[in-house]
Amino acid sequence: MAENNQQGCLFVGEGVTLKGSFEVPDIASISGSLEGELTAKQIIIEASGSICGKVTGEMVDIRGELTENLTATRSLIIRSTGKVNGAIHYAEIEIEKGGHLHGDLHIINSSQGQS
Amino acid sequence: MFSRKPPIQEYPEVGNELDESLIEQVLDDAEDSPAEFSASPTCRKPLKPTIISEGFEFVGAITSEGTVHIAGIVKGVITAKSVLVDVEGMVEGEMTTDNLMLKGSVKGEVLCNELTIGPRAMMDGNISYQNIHIQRGGKVSGTFNKKRSM
Repeated sequence: MAENNQQGCLFVGEGVTLKGSFEVPDIASISGSLEGELTAKQIIIEASGSICGKVTGEMVDIRGELTENLTATRSLIIRSTGKVNGAIHYAEIEIEKGGHLHGDLHIINSSQGQS
Repeated sequence: MFSRKPPIQEYPEVGNELDESLIEQVLDDAEDSPAEFSASPTCRKPLKPTIISEGFEFVGAITSEGTVHIAGIVKGVITAKSVLVDVEGMVEGEMTTDNLMLKGSVKGEVLCNELTIGPRAMMDGNISYQNIHIQRGGKVSGTFNKKRSM
């Protein structure tokens, strides 16, 4: 889906290592490894991908590994091969069977006033 | 096996003889059937679920070798092989189980192997698990620990 329109997207291929702080307006697809801060609208961590650091996105889809800090303001999906360690803030979550979750979970109230 | 009775109506004049033979047949059947019945319970475990029904509030400890089905409110400690917290169900306290299916709400310490959280479930507390599955919409917060497989 992302291949059709690559404007505002970040693709990190397998074997690539990135370090630093990244602001991505659209999709960030990570097959390699990333260290640092990542903010994107949609974040996809592929099975071979790994992120260590602070990750913020609207929709986050995890097939690979993520450590430290994750915020998903809309939806968070941890697939069966996914591994998440650390603090997680989410509005909506789904974990497939086999998914790995270790850490603190917090719900974000997207609509205030609703507990 | 009782459907053999109708022939009586076809030969009403020899009804007595037929009745006797029928009784013998029924007795034969009756002798056969207890053997079948006694054989079946050994095959399956006759464990019935413990049910805390809707509107029922339980305070204390529950220990079960089988399934505990909670549709009411439980405050306390639950130890069971399998726990199902229904949509209306609420648990506050400690829970230790192999298999937890959560559709309602749970607050407290949970220790389980297989954890399934339904779309309308609420969970809060310290959770240790081996396998987890959360369906979209399930609200969970707290600390999650994946246990090493035993």
